[in-house]
Amino acid sequence: MNEDKRVPCSGCSLLCDDIIVIEKDKSNYDIIGACLKGIQKFEQRNSKNRILSPYIRQNNELVKVEWDEAIKKTIKLIKGSLNPILYGFSTTSCETQLKAIKLAQKINGFIDSNSTICQGKVLNSAKKKGITTITLTEIINKSDVIILWGFNAVESIPRLLSKVLFSRGKFRLTGREIKTLIIIDTYKNASFKVLGTKDLALIVEPDKDIDLIKILKKICKNNIKLPNEGTAGIDKEDIKRFITYLLNSENIVIFIGQGLLKIQKDGNPLEKLLDLIDIINNKNKNGRISTVMMGGHYNMAGFEHIALSYIGKNQNIQFQNRKLIQTKMNIISKIKERDFDLSIIVGTDAISHFPSEISKILTSRPIILIDNRKSGTYFVADIVLPTAITGIESEGLAFRFDHVPIKLKKIMNPPNDIPNDEELLDKIISKLDKNNVNSD
Amino acid sequence: MIIPPKNFMELYKFLPQTNCKKCGKPSCMAFALELLKGTVKIEECTPLIEESKYKTGYNKLKELLEGEEGIKKELKINIDNEKCDACGICIIACPVNARYCYSILSGKTPDYPPDKHQLFLIKQGKCELLNLEHCRRLATEGRERECRICETYCPREAIKIEYN
Amino acid sequence: MEMLLNIVRMIDYDQAFEFTESEIESIGEKLAISFINSKDFKEMYLVPSLNLHLSNKYGDIIVKFKQNENLPKGIILMPVSIWSNQLTYTINGDIIYKNIKIQVEGTRDQITKFDDIIKNLKI
Repeated sequence: MNEDKRVPCSGCSLLCDDIIVIEKDKSNYDIIGACLKGIQKFEQRNSKNRILSPYIRQNNELVKVEWDEAIKKTIKLIKGSLNPILYGFSTTSCETQLKAIKLAQKINGFIDSNSTICQGKVLNSAKKKGITTITLTEIINKSDVIILWGFNAVESIPRLLSKVLFSRGKFRLTGREIKTLIIIDTYKNASFKVLGTKDLALIVEPDKDIDLIKILKKICKNNIKLPNEGTAGIDKEDIKRFITYLLNSENIVIFIGQGLLKIQKDGNPLEKLLDLIDIINNKNKNGRISTVMMGGHYNMAGFEHIALSYIGKNQNIQFQNRKLIQTKMNIISKIKERDFDLSIIVGTDAISHFPSEISKILTSRPIILIDNRKSGTYFVADIVLPTAITGIESEGLAFRFDHVPIKLKKIMNPPNDIPNDEELLDKIISKLDKNNVNSD
Repeated sequence: MIIPPKNFMELYKFLPQTNCKKCGKPSCMAFALELLKGTVKIEECTPLIEESKYKTGYNKLKELLEGEEGIKKELKINIDNEKCDACGICIIACPVNARYCYSILSGKTPDYPPDKHQLFLIKQGKCELLNLEHCRRLATEGRERECRICETYCPREAIKIEYN
Repeated sequence: MEMLLNIVRMIDYDQAFEFTESEIESIGEKLAISFINSKDFKEMYLVPSLNLHLSNKYGDIIVKFKQNENLPKGIILMPVSIWSNQLTYTINGDIIYKNIKIQVEGTRDQITKFDDIIKNLKI
């Protein structure tokens, strides 16, 4: 089978482009190579909870309606709102994200993606000094130390370790034997099973990563002595080994997880870690440390690139009079302050992922949901518009976690002639234009 | 209740460890592996019976193998479907696959249809075993190895190697 | 008893998977679950037929539990789901998912239903 018969998988931000899809008979496929997360994406097309036509809420029940009526009601709600918010977009293609930003501009809305509460935080913390990143191919071929900090790779991105640790890259032909794995976490999770005799496991106390990073900074900068009793629950010998790896390796990659994103003792551990990496990169001229964060959705990086190139800002985009204005709010603070009167949720289950205090405020205003299967948000939405699954039923561009663009392919047609996200947003924009012309 | 030995090292520690080759095998380690597989009997190691200093070792071996010696056992690699999440570590770490399927060197899924030496195939989110006869544990005479790479590195402990 | 709650990703208890594969009425069977250390299990005099009542000032839920020896004492794990998000909160625009202080006790009541959570959110 040729290399170009392979199809990219849109299960998570690793965007594996080596999946083989075999057509057995009509709408019956064999999927070779995808992990459980990828298979779940492929199974969504036949899910028993798939939404196949639009719905509108009447008398507290969702009622099936025709497309014309649903679009009419959507336009009515949008035109009647002065302060809409748009959220989601990390499971949609880059073309859809561009259309969505243009729609937000037209209706003077606030638009943001899932990246603000996940992957985008690393870029935000690096605004002052910049950040060293690395591509997946470089990790496979050149890295020799992999650090997982607050990140349980086995339970969130199953194929990551097989690709970066066990592969035999061009300059790392002996694979697992020459690479070192260091895991830093608060308890012994499933990723610890992959450790070998030459690897290192550090179990920190909860909320104490910032103490560990501060000590490492002092040692690397001023060369002070290690405290005898260790720090943050880790003993002296382990910290010594950790520093030896940090200062003497050729190519280190740190994978950051949710465990490091929380503010600890009024300090931001992510910012302190990026400072530490800066110090070590300047000190060790023969080596380099890069930082990477992986999101659960496949196109978090895409929204940031599209927004940055179209409007000049990557997150928390607020329009007024069709122009971008300054704002310190993000999607969470916007909802908490009740600074909105309509929400448009695209491709994400906001009600199940936000804390209840935020979800309660979100349900107090009308919600328009654009998604392909039932979820928590479906049961509280006022209008539900179904779309095709990107990566299987419609094509588009997506950006991997290391900012490399990957083209997603169309393998089959969507059921019921459902439009894809881009076509639907196009229809809404053109109906808004038509209404404006008529009323003039 | 005696737990049957899983590893030939458990049998090796009760052998003379002199590599005298009287049993016809190149070393005591090779003899221990054959004992586990059931292709030889304990008595074929003549020093165990003839010399009294090895008597405790002989008795212990008799106890561990408990009448199952000499019955030829087959290698089985069992994959627990409930635990497997198709992470691909077994495919990429297997040294046999590294020789015959070039895609896995850079971490990619091997081609389909699978090569006739390929062990393991990931289909519909689960790992299947293929071509067990090419496993490194069963290589041609004298080149077998005690290889447990797939069992050791599976992070969900879904692979179990046993002889029965 | 006061303990810390950690909300983590788990392959076997994945909300996106349950919404795709299962009937909506039965997703609670898989997702309303927590993991507790064996020593805490003994100290709190729990038995496997009970459920756990987790509460803090942001919400409260009743879930099943399983034992896990790898957890340190005083920490409870839950998979990411609408159940666990009844206990999370926000500070300055950030959502807090790790090391949340909660009260834990055993109870004979049934686990919280999905419909009840949705009704509670619509005010």
